[in-house]
Amino acid sequence: MRIALKICTFLAAAIVPFSAVAQSCVADLPGGRKVESEHYVLSYRTRPEKVAISQHFAVEIAVCPKGGDPAPESVRVDGFMPDHNHGMNYRAVVKPVGDGRYEAAGLMFHMPGKWDFIFEVRAAGRTDRMTATLLLQ
Amino acid sequence: MRDESLTGSRRSPVTRHPSRLLIVGAMLALFAPWGGAQNPGEFLLDFSEAELRRILQHGPWPPPASRDPSNRVSGNAGAIAFGEKLFFESRLSAKGSISCGTCHVPERGWSDGRKLGVGLVEVDRNTPTVQNVRTHRWFGWDGSSDNLWSQSIRPLLDTREMGMTERQVAETVRSDADLACRYEKAFGARPPADDAAVLVAVGKALAAFQETLVSGRTPFDDFRDALANGNHKAAARYPQDAQKGLRIFAGKGNCSLCHFGPNFTHGEFHEIGIPVFKKAGGVDWGRYEGIKRLRANRFNLLGPFNDDPARADGMSTRHVALVPQTFEQFKVPTLRNVALTAPYMHNGHLATLADVVRHYSEIDPTLLHMAHMYFDPLVPEAVPTDTLLKPLKLSSIEISYVVAFLMTLTDTETGKPRNPLPACR
Repeated sequence: MRIALKICTFLAAAIVPFSAVAQSCVADLPGGRKVESEHYVLSYRTRPEKVAISQHFAVEIAVCPKGGDPAPESVRVDGFMPDHNHGMNYRAVVKPVGDGRYEAAGLMFHMPGKWDFIFEVRAAGRTDRMTATLLLQ
Repeated sequence: MRDESLTGSRRSPVTRHPSRLLIVGAMLALFAPWGGAQNPGEFLLDFSEAELRRILQHGPWPPPASRDPSNRVSGNAGAIAFGEKLFFESRLSAKGSISCGTCHVPERGWSDGRKLGVGLVEVDRNTPTVQNVRTHRWFGWDGSSDNLWSQSIRPLLDTREMGMTERQVAETVRSDADLACRYEKAFGARPPADDAAVLVAVGKALAAFQETLVSGRTPFDDFRDALANGNHKAAARYPQDAQKGLRIFAGKGNCSLCHFGPNFTHGEFHEIGIPVFKKAGGVDWGRYEGIKRLRANRFNLLGPFNDDPARADGMSTRHVALVPQTFEQFKVPTLRNVALTAPYMHNGHLATLADVVRHYSEIDPTLLHMAHMYFDPLVPEAVPTDTLLKPLKLSSIEISYVVAFLMTLTDTETGKPRNPLPACR
């Protein structure tokens, strides 16, 4: 009986905070765009809002697990020009800022054309990738 | 997985902003009658909405003046005069024989007309112009400097170029009454005993001077502004061949994707199939080595000599990626006054503007990038880099049109005699 109680206590300690995170997590940044994978919903918005060609910009990201999926361990963002087969000349640095939110700095789309934002969410040894397209003219 | 719900993001800025649509629509309405019959000597192509958008992005010119926050004497009149004196000062070379102005000749578009630059000895690269450098993010063909004062220091200390030491530069300034006087006017104190401090100050004065080397307005700028203002009569005075060349440049040539914006460069780097073997042997790795040199450079924007304590302008240096795609990449040069700066490319490989256009017209993509694969971890599989470059297969008359357009990027101010500086008192 004691062992069963301990197990229940342990499970409660482990699951309740996770459930609270999952329930309170809102991946819906005002003015942002949303992408989804099998396990995550991701909302992002750029700062400044209008991405200028060959100028640095930042990205605010909010990520929420779907259902019982684990919270993200890390998030990455990159840019790629599918029509040119090359990406950015810069590496974005993503920092968690709490509550499932992240801030990415140092991005630059240096040419006009079609760019893909590539988001990677890693957790429990699995990587989910999501893309969103931006046409820069 | 691609989120197709984002289809809206693919819409053009014009369709996302109805006011822009109205403006472009009004411009098209204005120009529509000019696609056909014109008065003698007047001709205006019926540029499409997309063409107009791209053309207007090449202005206005000149750009608004702005100070370099990393250089406390940027825009300072005393520093500009000091920098001009230093720029043409041959005592800043080991043999007292050459100055910055030996290679950056005003009458040659601030270049030298040589295939390869010649300092104390011949170097590996063509001399780039120093006009309009204040708009740049990276300096030199490989971008190994992230600021203009650092780039100005580099040739002073390069043993193949001016061959000075830090001590020699500082001593030259300290021991000459006129230079020391100008130093004081620029920096508010006599040159100190600290050699590094004097060297950096020399670099910053040279930068302050070069920031003033802004090319003048050109026939293209008048045409572009006439389009922007809906003045079709003025726009129609722009040469017919140049308009046809501009249409290729901003259209099927895709030239304006890299030669983007008012200074006709997006400021970044590409590999374009120019031979990279050096005359003296070895390979010029271009941007790849440039990034390594940048990071090792004590005068970069992340270092102690940046006058901006916040290092806000160090963003590019903090985030630049040293990846294989940078092998053999070189900086996309400005095209303003390009007709004055032959020969072309990082090693002067192409003699004329027609050769340059022909190069892109006949480029062999299989020779371009097969040796360098793009290994970005976020890309599912390694792919040849930059598939944008494809042979344009232009006719000889089309090549002449593009050259005619490039010729209209020439101003009438460059190369005019400069007034001698009065003695410093």
